[in-house]
Amino acid sequence: MEDPNRADDFVPAGLASLGIDADEVELAVMGAAKDLFWPPILDLLALDTSAVAPERQQDLSRPPEQP
Amino acid sequence: MSALDLTLRGQAAAIAAGDVDPAELLDEALARIERRNPAVNAVVETFPERSREMLAAAPPGPLHGVPVVIKDEWPLPWRAQRFGAAEMLAEVEPGESGPYRALRDAGAVIVGVGNMHELGAGSTGNLSVYGPARNPWDTERCPGGSSSGPAAAVAARLVAGAVGADGVGSIRFPAAYCGLTGLKPTFGRLPMEGHHMAANSTTIVSGPLCADAADCRLLASALAGAPLEAAEPRGLRIGVVRDSVSDDVAPAVREACEEAIEALRAQTGGEVWEIELEDLELAALATVLIANVEGIGNIDPQRLNRLSPELSPIARGLLKFRMLLPAAASVKAYRVRTLMRHRLVAAFEQVDVIAWPTVPAVAPPLQMPLVELPSGTLTADSANVRGAGLANLTGIPSVSVPVGLSEGLPIALQLQAAWGRDELLLDAAEALERANDRRWVEALPPLAQAETTEA
Repeated sequence: MEDPNRADDFVPAGLASLGIDADEVELAVMGAAKDLFWPPILDLLALDTSAVAPERQQDLSRPPEQP
Repeated sequence: MSALDLTLRGQAAAIAAGDVDPAELLDEALARIERRNPAVNAVVETFPERSREMLAAAPPGPLHGVPVVIKDEWPLPWRAQRFGAAEMLAEVEPGESGPYRALRDAGAVIVGVGNMHELGAGSTGNLSVYGPARNPWDTERCPGGSSSGPAAAVAARLVAGAVGADGVGSIRFPAAYCGLTGLKPTFGRLPMEGHHMAANSTTIVSGPLCADAADCRLLASALAGAPLEAAEPRGLRIGVVRDSVSDDVAPAVREACEEAIEALRAQTGGEVWEIELEDLELAALATVLIANVEGIGNIDPQRLNRLSPELSPIARGLLKFRMLLPAAASVKAYRVRTLMRHRLVAAFEQVDVIAWPTVPAVAPPLQMPLVELPSGTLTADSANVRGAGLANLTGIPSVSVPVGLSEGLPIALQLQAAWGRDELLLDAAEALERANDRRWVEALPPLAQAETTEA
């Protein structure tokens, strides 16, 4: 479970670590984006894809090769 | 009636038969853009001399002399794309893009550049360096994005066909909001050369937006350089999914799409099957993640400190936010891509097409692009991506077809098929048009009706 206070630091701290500046409006946009994206990103990270065999020669114009 | 009000194929046939002078048609198109475009801001630049040069040099191809619009996402020999933005992160310059070459070789005449959502990053079209394009059905409503201008141009009957691009639904959203047919082809089927993200992107394709499926077939064939042959879809097996893409939609949208699916089944003598396709919301997220990280593949973080203040704060904030996306989530997104591709193989053994609403609600207001759904109020972007991402994620083709009106605004059904079955989608779309007596593909927005009546 995220600590809400530390999670709020994520955007400015992450930007600072990359040396990226941001004004207040940009930070507000990023805060809204984080609120929107983070719950499903956590769901995605929790999805078990260990049984999914990678496509070594992926060609998106065709169906995948059957394992 | 002006020849401009003919279908794309009607214009091509009339020119070929000598019934319409293409030079006069070009002049009519330019005059109509000047007269009608201020209300919709669909076309952001015309270049009459360049268009006349194209016409003078036009070969006797399938679109000889037919005026078309191309999205501000493709370079032209006399103009670099601006991507709807005050500044692009990629270096771009004028040149011959793949779609430009295909249109030129088919004899088409590019009459203008279509507006688009800033940096291609939105489903509404309400942000653009040129100001938003407006929906011809209601100019206070979103036209859809990111191919907002191409859609508004065709819906306002400035031209009969336009070329857009679709990285996460960007042809299908505006087609749906503007009452058009829009084809997102199989990945790699239509030309991408010259696109500034062609080397990085595994989601973006070029494709047509037209009034109906036959015109989309003609324009897609011109882009492909080979005909997408028509056939009668008999015994069509239609798959439906009971998920948020079908169920968390406005009641009028649900009703119109269910009626359309039944009409398509009856028209083709087919069957409707309920199929399992799990994790669609994660698939949509995976699409967004992949599109976003691929879009910053060549970006130095310091470059983001030099963004133009002319970019919208939303664009600046979202560009910087992309740098914070977890790498592990991106890797997982690519795994979800493979997972969904395998699931689609299984699904397309059961059915020929999968159908659900293109967008869950009609076009929202430009000033506040929110949609009311059974689950609550959502931003249009977050609601729209749920149904559109799968085709971009997996590479399959998809078409959006108009199937009704609610509050005077178009409703659309999306059909998806297996890789390479673009022709089947257009066959099914034409069957659906016949099933409803072409009522929705021939419906004109008020803006186009008024002038037709006056003329």
